[in-house]
Amino acid sequence: MKSETALFSTVLASTVHDMKNSLGMMLDAVNTILGDIPNEAKQRNSAQCGVVQYESSRVNNSLMQLLAIYKIENNQLPFNPSYHNLYDFVEEQIIAHTPLLDAKGFEFEIDIDDELEIVFDDSLLTMVITNIVGNAIRYAHSKVLITYELDQGTTIKICDDGPGYPSQMIELAGDYIQGINQSTGSTGLGLFFAQKVAEMHQHGENRGSIYLENGGPLGGGVFKITIP
Amino acid sequence: MQDPIAMMKKPMVRYSQKSVLIIEDFAEFARSLRGMMITMGGKKIDLVYNGDDAIQACKEKKYDIILSDYNLGDSKDGQQILEELMHFKLLKSSAVFVMVTAENTTAMVMGALEYQPDSYLTKPFNGHILKSRLDKAIFKKDLLSPIVRKMRAKKWQEALKSCHEIAEENPKFKMACLRHRFNCLRSLKQYDKALELTTQIVNERPIPWAMLGVGEIFFAKKEYERAIELFTDMTNEFPMVLEGYDWLAKVQHIVGRPIEAQQTLQKAVERSPKALKRQKLLGEIAEENDDVETMTAAFRQAVKFGSNSAFASPDEFVKLTKSLGLQLKGNSDADRQKLLDEAESVFSKLDHRFKHDPGIQFRSAVAHADFSSITNDQQKVEKYLSTANKLYDKIEEHIGSKESIEITESLKHLGQKELAESILEEAVEQYFDDPAFIKQAEKLTTNKNLIENSRKANQLNTKAIKYFSTKDYPTASEYFYKALEIAPSNVNINLNNVQTLLKRFQSGEKDQQLLLEAERLLSGITRLAFTDPRYERYSELSRLTQLMLQSI
Repeated sequence: MKSETALFSTVLASTVHDMKNSLGMMLDAVNTILGDIPNEAKQRNSAQCGVVQYESSRVNNSLMQLLAIYKIENNQLPFNPSYHNLYDFVEEQIIAHTPLLDAKGFEFEIDIDDELEIVFDDSLLTMVITNIVGNAIRYAHSKVLITYELDQGTTIKICDDGPGYPSQMIELAGDYIQGINQSTGSTGLGLFFAQKVAEMHQHGENRGSIYLENGGPLGGGVFKITIP
Repeated sequence: MQDPIAMMKKPMVRYSQKSVLIIEDFAEFARSLRGMMITMGGKKIDLVYNGDDAIQACKEKKYDIILSDYNLGDSKDGQQILEELMHFKLLKSSAVFVMVTAENTTAMVMGALEYQPDSYLTKPFNGHILKSRLDKAIFKKDLLSPIVRKMRAKKWQEALKSCHEIAEENPKFKMACLRHRFNCLRSLKQYDKALELTTQIVNERPIPWAMLGVGEIFFAKKEYERAIELFTDMTNEFPMVLEGYDWLAKVQHIVGRPIEAQQTLQKAVERSPKALKRQKLLGEIAEENDDVETMTAAFRQAVKFGSNSAFASPDEFVKLTKSLGLQLKGNSDADRQKLLDEAESVFSKLDHRFKHDPGIQFRSAVAHADFSSITNDQQKVEKYLSTANKLYDKIEEHIGSKESIEITESLKHLGQKELAESILEEAVEQYFDDPAFIKQAEKLTTNKNLIENSRKANQLNTKAIKYFSTKDYPTASEYFYKALEIAPSNVNINLNNVQTLLKRFQSGEKDQQLLLEAERLLSGITRLAFTDPRYERYSELSRLTQLMLQSI
């Protein structure tokens, strides 16, 4: 039974890989088409362009998370922590969403000391933050704020002005694989992955963690990830 | 609403002034990358579709920005391109290299810590991200380039000073400066300071490069047990940082634990087979362990991955045929015809790849004759021996120490005593200061005087070096000349003597004759390949001699 599960995972992983390649080619093609469209027409359809780019990067991100989870289970996920400037890192996560932000007329704010250097694996944390910021833009009204707290490590906080996280999701704290819920469309993947990545970051006795709450400075959802 | 680009706090980069090389085999994506660069203002953009063209382009032009896809089909991959560009110094110190990958989690496996691009970008990405990455990478590279330039010129002290100044003014790049600082200290052999630096970083946080650094210094200080302990910790903590295994295996091998070394390398190869150097080392250690199967597999992979690489050498080809020969000798169930066919195909690849180098052709012919003797194919043995004899006189460069032993062994085995002995004699004259080599040579030669004489020359050389270190240059010279009487074409002694003559000139004996004599000795060194480890010293001493001659 166990080997069948392993076989399935391997098939899944290679399929995901293949899907990612297709998606990549599709995106390149879309970008080429977009490049050929006159600016006027592009502006008229800017909302749609934003949606195409955002939704495809969302699918891509999910696929990458799936692959990464597969690798975590097989002990193959490289973990390469290094010092990074937190402001620069967060800024880039916002820049990645520029088309969607523009399309939706969103406001964002980064409130992070620009001299703060902390240790984390940037490629893994990118997948986490990109996903959360993307969801915030998807569900909130008009504003996202990214800020931080220093305590037992560094906590990155992503706050929005949307309806907040459903209470049953907040209650799941630490067990996000349970969050899979067909009716709400939440797969739980993003949070499950975020938790895995957070836990890979350790310092001394401390392990990374994630935490959800509502309210916060913008009155919507707050996602917190603590890197020790 | 804020514009994310306006938010950037970096100085503006004028992309219209930057020359850009895009390396991408997929035409659609290449177009889209070019489009992004044009949107940023880029005007000087070149496009190539494979690794060989990329290397060629970099030989012709010094680019400011290189965007390379990692996966380039059957050609060299992006990492191989980066390693070649760095190894052959085809990048200027301020050039920025961005690796584009399809999947970011494998990025760290691909890149050796020593050869990392300035940035990894994961597909898909938009022009804003590309610009943000380039802005940051260019800013950082420009800022740090004074350090890199000084390190390239081997001006370590000045580089250390720059590290300090730049880190003071830019706390953001403190870590990058510390890393350069460590490399300078290691090059200066200031091991205690280097160790203190990396230990401090690791005590705070176990960062892979710093951890490797601690281990490397233990190794340099010959504290092998501590090195083993550290590299073992490292492979546990960072199982995907493969240099940890490479180092661990290297130390295990040195302290005489080849079985463990082999196991360590096998773990690394499992995680990433695509590494020529690692496969070669695995093959060599497996040979020592008489594990013919592992040896064959490793050299087979080395030949395979070397086909795209500028770092391929004849070693892996010859060793692969040797291991196939060993399989034929053993009465294994392996399909004999298959092994024979494979070996023939490896020889023909070897001869083709190095067709312009008579030394390698000679080595191949000897190995080929030796291999043919395993199956008693007398016709082939004679054919390749006659080829070898014809090639021998055409060899222009010194044969290396290991190669000399290998060739001598084969020739002895084939009953070619005379040729074997003359190759060994030449090698002993060149490498008598290498105790491991002499030990092997002693077993092979029948000429007792040969080893006796080489010991004498070695003693004289050692004595001369002692005088040199006490700054008694005239006496040092005297002994170098005595050593040269026994071994006139020994490159090291000739170079030692040249260095001594230059010192004599500098330290007061302003006699032009000294420089002319140095020039004469240098002009006698005619068989040194530019790939020879001694070549760098030769060329540096030649440069100095000419410089001093001009200054008169």
